Amino acid sequence: MTALHRLVVALVAAFILAPIVVVVAVSLTDSPIPEFPPRGLTLRWYAHALSEDVFTTSALNSLWLATIATALATPLALAAAYGLVRGRFRGRDAIQTLLLAPLVVPSLVIGLAILLAFSGMGVRDVGARLVGAHVLITFPYMVRTILASLARLDPAVEEVARTLGASALRCFVLVTLPLVRPGVVAGMLFAFIVSFDNVSLSLFLTNARTNTLPIAILNYVEYNFDPSVAAISTMLVAFSLGAALLVERLVGLRRVVGG
Amino acid sequence: MRRGTALLLLAPAVLLIAALLGAPLAWLVRFSVHEGQVGVAPAGALTLAHYAKALGDGFYLEVFARTLGMALVITLVSAVVSYPLAHFMWQAPRRWRAALTILALSPLLVSIVVSSYGWMVILGDQGVVNRALLATGLASRPVKLMYTDLAIVVGLVHIVMPFMTLSILAALERIDPLLGEAAATLGAPRWRILWHVTLPLALPGIAAGTTIVFSLAISSYVTPAVLGPSGSNFITTLIWQQFTQLMNWSFGSALAALLLALSLAVVFGYVRLLTAAGVFGGPGRGAA
Repeated sequence: MTALHRLVVALVAAFILAPIVVVVAVSLTDSPIPEFPPRGLTLRWYAHALSEDVFTTSALNSLWLATIATALATPLALAAAYGLVRGRFRGRDAIQTLLLAPLVVPSLVIGLAILLAFSGMGVRDVGARLVGAHVLITFPYMVRTILASLARLDPAVEEVARTLGASALRCFVLVTLPLVRPGVVAGMLFAFIVSFDNVSLSLFLTNARTNTLPIAILNYVEYNFDPSVAAISTMLVAFSLGAALLVERLVGLRRVVGG
Repeated sequence: MRRGTALLLLAPAVLLIAALLGAPLAWLVRFSVHEGQVGVAPAGALTLAHYAKALGDGFYLEVFARTLGMALVITLVSAVVSYPLAHFMWQAPRRWRAALTILALSPLLVSIVVSSYGWMVILGDQGVVNRALLATGLASRPVKLMYTDLAIVVGLVHIVMPFMTLSILAALERIDPLLGEAAATLGAPRWRILWHVTLPLALPGIAAGTTIVFSLAISSYVTPAVLGPSGSNFITTLIWQQFTQLMNWSFGSALAALLLALSLAVVFGYVRLLTAAGVFGGPGRGAA
């Protein structure tokens, strides 16, 4: 590794971290506008952010949404991934492509299509369309993670259980599931982050009264520039990075993200 | 596992995709081939006029061309910026792996509203960059960086980098380490190994990354809307405007359908093209 390469990598790392470092630093500034480097140190913007109803209400909405979406997507993804890995039938590849399709279709198009279709059916409940959209977008990540975990599982282990007389269901619950649990948990955590951080779908599906946290931040920045946005953003970053670290520990992030 | 059991396990998931993706997309396309709307339903005669307008009018074609041009720049820049990082991750000691992975993926793990806000603070008229420029005397008044195409490129390259880095890293990891050693033993200097051995073998990864990044770039909405110039200068911001300001759902749907077709063509067509050209070597398939 040459010195030049190290320098270039350091610059790239600085570029990647710049917006995050700036947001964290600005959240601590003692001035009424976002200043970098921060002038003085204070936690008052955190207190301010936590006293703002727009942030706390929408944060609760986001927590609920991510929890429900993950809870609905998990059993579907688990069943589908198991069927894909253990099933032998024609059109397997096509079905796998179909299940990962929500990652290929632009979020803006998904958001609009769901908005139009739900309105067309007379469903105007913000919660319903948000849950629908978030299940759809978190589902493929879970399928991918669980597929990766299942692929590394030796089918012989299951065969032994079956030969010894375990039913298919018993074998799945007592043998397969415990072995792929890290993958399932990692997939759930990642799905939770994807839902909790999502902007491009929620943007179309929320309204002035029912919001998610990222959308509330986006709206707040349009009219206010005080560092309380930086404070709430820092909390969001800490939350997501904490979950990501767990995923990395459990199965490795790269298995979830793909590529 | 019997075929019936497998299909039964897959049925709920397929139904989910059909109900929440297939049907809504079909409904969107239905909107796009109707004259207009009554309330929330498509109405009027069947027509392709919206598509004709989108593809025939100079203004809309210009927005399409602009979006594609920007996506091309973003893809190129992200490949150039991501390669050194991927190469570094490939050669770094194992114990650095977790930290480097979190670093490389952090743009993806941080909500886009957070990084956008960060770029606003960095690129604004009173921002970090301008204050540094003024303080060092490199500029006598603030340079306009926010709400420009440059800001879009910076913001989007940041967001798409993880996909490019991971794609390249995946290709590098498939390289036999003996190849580089052999070249070195035979006296090849570092840059020749990079140019003649490593880079050609990393090409499938760069190609796969290019596909993902390009399709993400043409369909991004938040970054161009928040960091870019005002007005409809991206396909996505144009679509947004049709829906929210002009209430022209049919035309907006036609634009959305065209965007969808374009990004699917990029993802599937490009991979096929590259496979045919032998970039992906052998019968293997693209990582996308």
